[in-house]
Amino acid sequence: MVKMSLEPVQVMSGQVAELPKVAPSSNGDSGGSWEGKREFDKDHLGLTAKPKPVTGRRARKVEGAVFFPKPENAVTVAVSSRVLFRTEREQKVFEQKGVEEYLRYQIEHENEPFAPGPAFPFVKALEAVNARLRELYPQSEELFDIVLVTYNHAHVGIRLINTINHHNLFIERFCMTGGSSPIGYLKAWQTNLYLSADANKVREALTEGIAAATMFMPEKMTEVSKSQLRVAFDGDAVLFSDESERIFKAHGLDKFFEHEKENEDRLLDHGPLKGFLEALGKLQKKFYAKGQRLDCPIRTYLVTARSAASSGIRALKTLRAWGLEIDEALFLAGAPKGPMLEKIRPHIYFDDQMFHVEGAAEMGTIAAHVPYGIAQKHNSKHNTSAGK
Amino acid sequence: MQCFESGGAEDPDGLYAGGIAFPLLQALQKVNERLLKENPAESLLFDVILITTESQQQQQNSRITESIRHHGLKVSRFCFSNEEDFIENLLNNNVHLFLTTNRNEALQGSQKGVLSVLLDEHTASCPTEQLRVLFCGDAVVQSEAGSALASKQAAQSFSTQLGKMRGRFGPFDSPISIALVTSRGGRESCGDALRTLRSLGVNADEAYCLAGAPRGPIKRLLQPHFLLSECLSSN
Repeated sequence: MVKMSLEPVQVMSGQVAELPKVAPSSNGDSGGSWEGKREFDKDHLGLTAKPKPVTGRRARKVEGAVFFPKPENAVTVAVSSRVLFRTEREQKVFEQKGVEEYLRYQIEHENEPFAPGPAFPFVKALEAVNARLRELYPQSEELFDIVLVTYNHAHVGIRLINTINHHNLFIERFCMTGGSSPIGYLKAWQTNLYLSADANKVREALTEGIAAATMFMPEKMTEVSKSQLRVAFDGDAVLFSDESERIFKAHGLDKFFEHEKENEDRLLDHGPLKGFLEALGKLQKKFYAKGQRLDCPIRTYLVTARSAASSGIRALKTLRAWGLEIDEALFLAGAPKGPMLEKIRPHIYFDDQMFHVEGAAEMGTIAAHVPYGIAQKHNSKHNTSAGK
Repeated sequence: MQCFESGGAEDPDGLYAGGIAFPLLQALQKVNERLLKENPAESLLFDVILITTESQQQQQNSRITESIRHHGLKVSRFCFSNEEDFIENLLNNNVHLFLTTNRNEALQGSQKGVLSVLLDEHTASCPTEQLRVLFCGDAVVQSEAGSALASKQAAQSFSTQLGKMRGRFGPFDSPISIALVTSRGGRESCGDALRTLRSLGVNADEAYCLAGAPRGPIKRLLQPHFLLSECLSSN
């Protein structure tokens, strides 16, 4: 037992009162580009509102605007560190040399920022939308709120903070769980979308009712718009339930057409990403209200194997009944999705079938897999969903 | 390391039922067991002292000791004191952490220079297999004039000891888990808090930067046995 002398101390209550939000005057505008390793600025306190030097990066122009929106008002997008950044090297250290070596490696390289990962352009686009929203509605909390989620232990999380600073990302909320599941926290933060590299965690989120998708690092990432967020969705088992897909898988194409025709006026049930499309729609309406329909920085796409003339009708009627607008609906009637997506260049494309996700990635589209529905039992590269 | 507990509820069988601090005591014991398992010669252990100022409990001191034994708890010392002297007792026994549900006792303790932490009803439903400590990165500090620096030092010493204990175990399957929550500030304030903890020898397992999001749900999920704040406040 260690004996230590004590000096007069203050009492700390076990409970801390809820404090009113303060809008800090500066956020994340740390210095310019990294040239190799650089000593992190240890003098920075972060608690006082002193102005930070802005060296060639954009300053936060909107003063007094909302920086920390309440979770219930914001569209919360939780992103795993493994999809926001590239962490393959570190993953390899973990897999080959074990956790202790991995932790050591992370701390050793703490001042080296990670490179952007597949979710990076998406997050940047969310920030661009936020900038436009703040211009039009400076007091509104209806913004995108990006939360970083990692299973890493917190003491190696400093490298993530350094990386966020380096890339000048506006991420002020994060969750480092030290190995436990973040799903409880995602629910507490009323997460609207969760992106992860781990399919199991994504599945866990989906069962808890949180829209989620698995992202992969494509070999090439085609350039996407910096000013307009583009989100593309598959129809069945993503926006809609997998009920029709079940028919197709069980009974084939003809039965599928028959079933869709018979049920044309019956709404499809909702799928896991419907809520996210809804959230996007709400933000879009804010731009329309200010006369910016033509210049809206959010654009949504439906990319489905359904046919426009037949099975697609049910999809459109369902969307209309839900009060959801989708900017472009592309009915491919079974044609491959890759070339179409290459034209659209979405920041993210959600599909329930790995076949399509891989096909899209081959052409440089950032695609995310939604592990939901009947297709998961049949997921393989040779599976096709022709002519729906 | 020494902790004091205070109070405990009665049950009809004549034994005291587990009070609020029960899971905490069990968790502290778990830590000791695991520490000794790693190193049978370990000297950095938790030493629990039970103190009570309630005269009724003192008259039935055998009941207390019986109850302790009945519940399988390891308490190294019992301290029956009156209200005026109990702080002296804390100081004489070199207590590093005083845990109580009594706000006045906590205030008195801290005024006399003992790191004092107020337990609340949430502690009763905390896990018993793992000690969970929560550091609050940017809490409001009720400061007494002139004691800010000393208070910080005492909290820092305790934290360093806790960090050392945590270091005896690997990243997973540890009987101690240390979490950090910053409520108001952005990522920089959380980053600073992590670095401060690291400088004290504390490697946090979990960190949550709330940036204004409500604390309640997070605290409910974390289930900390108690909270610490002073060592992270700015001077």
